[in-house]
Amino acid sequence: MLPFDPVNFRGQFEFFQHNPDWVYLDNAATMHKPNAVIDAITAFYQRNNSNVHRGAHSLSQNATRAFEQARDDIATFVNARERQQIVFCSGATAALNQIAFGLMHTVLKAGDRVLITALEHHANIVPWQMHCARFGVTLDVVPLDNQHQVDQQAFSEMLQRKPKVVSLSHISNVLGHIQPVVQMINQAKAAGALTVVDGAQGIVHDSIDMQALDADFYVWSGHKLFGPTGIGVLYGKTAALELLTPIFGGGEMISEVQFSHSLFNILPFRLEAGTPDIAGAIGLAAATNWLQKVNRNEIKNYKAMLLNQFFEGLKRIDGLDILSSPVHNAGIVALNVQGEHPADVAELLNQQKVAVRGGQHCAMPFFSQLGLAGAVRFSFAPYNNEADVTTSLQALTQAVEILTA
Amino acid sequence: MTLDQLLTDTKPALSHIYNEDLPELSQAKDWQSKYRILMHLGRKLPPIPEKMKQPSLLVKGCESRAWLMHYYNKHQDQHFFVLDSEARIVKGLMAIMLCLVNGMSNTELKKFDLAHAFDKLNLKPYLSQSRGSGLNAMMVRIKDCCH
Ligand SMILES: Cc1ncc(COP(=O)(O)O)c(C=O)c1O
Repeated sequence: MLPFDPVNFRGQFEFFQHNPDWVYLDNAATMHKPNAVIDAITAFYQRNNSNVHRGAHSLSQNATRAFEQARDDIATFVNARERQQIVFCSGATAALNQIAFGLMHTVLKAGDRVLITALEHHANIVPWQMHCARFGVTLDVVPLDNQHQVDQQAFSEMLQRKPKVVSLSHISNVLGHIQPVVQMINQAKAAGALTVVDGAQGIVHDSIDMQALDADFYVWSGHKLFGPTGIGVLYGKTAALELLTPIFGGGEMISEVQFSHSLFNILPFRLEAGTPDIAGAIGLAAATNWLQKVNRNEIKNYKAMLLNQFFEGLKRIDGLDILSSPVHNAGIVALNVQGEHPADVAELLNQQKVAVRGGQHCAMPFFSQLGLAGAVRFSFAPYNNEADVTTSLQALTQAVEILTA
Repeated sequence: MTLDQLLTDTKPALSHIYNEDLPELSQAKDWQSKYRILMHLGRKLPPIPEKMKQPSLLVKGCESRAWLMHYYNKHQDQHFFVLDSEARIVKGLMAIMLCLVNGMSNTELKKFDLAHAFDKLNLKPYLSQSRGSGLNAMMVRIKDCCH
């Protein structure tokens, strides 16, 4: 394993060579891709491109081998017990839709309950709403406490209503707060629920051992893990994946098709209808292989150092409402300039080439609870550096000055 | 407050913006001055009172909420609008838009090309943000008032 060298690390992202005057702090939306990923995708298309699992020719067999190797690599990355537990899909949204749809009838019946939290991304709200409404399932929401954390007391109480499924985010995309997922999963399991973790923000922050975490499902998007867009992973324990009714039917996912009926294929193919994103899977495996070569603890500490500097700098700017807490924070700071709309603040930062997100970050219910129009979100990645922290703080100071002049 | 009163209050604000602020904006050198002016413009438009902000007036497709009210004077064939937004920069941009379209006849409004008009005022760069800011959504809504 290599030690983490911030300069060398950043140097592997060509994006910054092409955009030298930008400070990119919108990493929670999507991350940039290292050369290792871009090269792997290019090489696949230039040299190995063929469809998988179907050609009689050796080209297809090579492509199949590369694609299935990607599955193995990702299984290793998260320490999944079996390779078939890694189901490729287009991203966290697709995975959560597959789970919400797939558990109806098999697990969830009319009168049952599903429990989510008030800190979820729309991707972990809307699919449940859509399918629960149609199947007569009740969706309950754990409220937040006054620190904007999921209210653990309320969580314990709501588990007594015996939800069949508990679905929660590992790390909030709005605030960056790391949820006590281990404890929550254990409690949910003790209450007899299946557990779903939205790991869209969690997967990049820490190395995750699926066997140790022991959730039934854990999902994420490749593009927030240094990988390409269009690919993601639905991890599930084998027994849990077997419970899912496929949301898509088509080629690859069947073992036998007749006009009267079809027989489904085995895992993981049963849940991977159609031609998969072959290059995407290879690109994502390139990302995880590349990331595994670096000491991830050092990455985490470096990001914590940047975050800390940023929080310190914020103390010197008057008139801010900071929504994120610096403790148990994965590198995201949501804030508002008092009395100002986040869209104005984000636009003034944009004018200074500081890329942040301003608005509701796909978490409208969260902001309506707080009575806020949204927030400005700064999200850090390990390729950011101290200059990014300084520049963004200066830009924010300038924005506040213009707004309050 | 009635729509009539709002329209009456909006009128002098718009002519002031058109005659005084727009020339200043097109000559502003740095982005700071430009954005200061834009936000100042937004402040000149009388706000739509909270009570009048019916959900039906809400313009969808903006990161920030914006509202539009419309009045058509049949006898003189003139369209009049008042609008409001919770974001100040957006409101400033919308104020400029309003300067250009308020009082237009139905035919004029139908033909109106926002991109072209902004270009003539040297304001094209502000349009690049128009999708996110909801300026386009507002323009679509304004055009929908044509018959
Ligand atoms: C916590 C969380 N869940 C789900 C998603 C959805 O990810 P995607 O749009 O890649 O499917 C995101 C992305 O913003 C997220 O932050």
